[in-house]
Amino acid sequence: MTDRRFFVILFVAVGLLSLLPLGLGVYHLHVMIVSLFYVMMASSWNLLAGYTGQVSFAHAAFAGIGAYTSGILAAKFGLNPWIGVFIGTILAALIGLGMGILCLRMGGIYLSLTTLGFSEILRIVITNEYEITRGTMGLQVPGLVADYSKPAYFYIMLGGAMLTLIVLYKLIYSDIGLNFRAVQNDERAAASLGVDVVRMRVLAFTVSSALAGMAGGLYGHYLLLITPEIPSLDQQFLVLSMTVIGGMGSFLGPIIGAISLEIFSEYIRAYGEYHVLVFGLVALVVARFAPNGLMGLAEHRLRGRRKASRTVSAAAG
Amino acid sequence: MFALAGMNGLVIGAIYALAALGVSLVVGIMNVINFAHGELYILAGYFSYLFANAFGMNFALAMTLAVALVFLFGLLIEYTLIRPTYGNDMYSLILTFILSIVLQNAYLLIFGPYPNKPPNWVGGSTLILGSFYYGNQRLAALIAGSAVITLVFLVIKKTWFGRIIRATSQDREMAELNGVNTKRLNMLSFGLGCALAAAAGVILAPIFPVTPTAGVPVALTAFVVVVLGGMGSLWGCVIGGLIIGLVENFGAAYISTAYKQVFSFIILILVLLSRPSGLFGRREA
Repeated sequence: MTDRRFFVILFVAVGLLSLLPLGLGVYHLHVMIVSLFYVMMASSWNLLAGYTGQVSFAHAAFAGIGAYTSGILAAKFGLNPWIGVFIGTILAALIGLGMGILCLRMGGIYLSLTTLGFSEILRIVITNEYEITRGTMGLQVPGLVADYSKPAYFYIMLGGAMLTLIVLYKLIYSDIGLNFRAVQNDERAAASLGVDVVRMRVLAFTVSSALAGMAGGLYGHYLLLITPEIPSLDQQFLVLSMTVIGGMGSFLGPIIGAISLEIFSEYIRAYGEYHVLVFGLVALVVARFAPNGLMGLAEHRLRGRRKASRTVSAAAG
Repeated sequence: MFALAGMNGLVIGAIYALAALGVSLVVGIMNVINFAHGELYILAGYFSYLFANAFGMNFALAMTLAVALVFLFGLLIEYTLIRPTYGNDMYSLILTFILSIVLQNAYLLIFGPYPNKPPNWVGGSTLILGSFYYGNQRLAALIAGSAVITLVFLVIKKTWFGRIIRATSQDREMAELNGVNTKRLNMLSFGLGCALAAAAGVILAPIFPVTPTAGVPVALTAFVVVVLGGMGSLWGCVIGGLIIGLVENFGAAYISTAYKQVFSFIILILVLLSRPSGLFGRREA
């Protein structure tokens, strides 16, 4: 995909989406806002899992860091939420950098274990430090706009998602992105050609953590109540499933996965407690039988059809 | 206080070691981490609760049956989910993580959020060193845990099957060339890893009742133990398990109960900083 084509598609899509508040009611707008949050989360997680082959289980935790940093600064110290979101993003990036340096020398499994541990520790700290975080009761925070309105938040989240996608695109389709994929495909070959493997991984981890921090900060100020649900493993599971079902390692996959699964989960919410279970089973089946997700399936069909038409034309010729 | 915390640390440490042995066995042979390890631990707890309380079985029979069923379940998981991902470690991580969430939610639906507890094996308590009374159930758990660990060591160090396991974890291709059916061995060792989690589960369930998410901290600690001891090292699991068990309990007794999980995480960070291959780990090439 060329730069120009990407930006044309992005701006057309954003333009069309920004018409939505004219036609949608409050509830549907809410679903779209949540979807956009997951677009940010899944796309930035995809940078790790899909492009550099690192499975982090702390992505939701980084969103939590962004949300709680900004929320605490705003609720306790009266800081402007926008500045809070910015600080939360920076803090998530710094912690991501530290964690990346700590365990990325060791290779994949260590990162997965450490991030899983980190996210569990964060949950324990947030639940226990009741006086600062209000524990499971949730922390009430001010909104990003003076007069609460769904359309305003929809545009804010749309802006956030657009920013996230541009950053990811610029990174993935640059020389650095080429290095990312080289590292994922064959670490040793990449290293032998002069790619600094550890540095590439740490870079991807830091950027992805920062983007999660920003998404969490914006989302927290939309919900107005920040609970340990944001950095929970359940949330991590949703982000992971969306990426896997949409298609890991493809740019469009997580976007499609996030929007379609958020809408799907709103439909099956009617069945109450079953909805996480159903979601999990779907994710399990897709991950097992179609490891490249919906995008992989689509590409497969497309390629199959092209090949078929080529054979037909060859036979005709 | 000191002796009591030490004793608690020993009991929990033995169970951590047992759970970690299961993880380590699978890592050593297949280079796969089973993120649903904790959920299998809990599954065994539920089975033993179900068989003993609802069907009125003898507790020992209920426990054996529970471990056997989880072993079979492990074989099934390997066959359906892990086998297709050979050579792609990342996918097995993702699949087992999804599996763990699915299992947690299934438990929640079937058993509800309340703690369930299988019956105690023994009642009463014993005076230890003339200074404090300690529950017999916990002592029995310590003995049972140590017995299973000894059994695992005997099997791996002394039997033909153990020799195959050691050979495969040292050099997979060489073992294959010598006629080891590594596919079947993978399946078997994955099942055994699950069975060790199950053994830890049935031993600990009477002391710490099972809830749908109670497996998460146990599995996390088992992972920390494996990293601390060195991936794939059996002695590392035992020593690491005891260290983590003791640190957690002394930390809980003298510093803070709520943060006892955090202590093991701090140890993990220190290990990664200073000696990434763990206490007994082989240095990776």
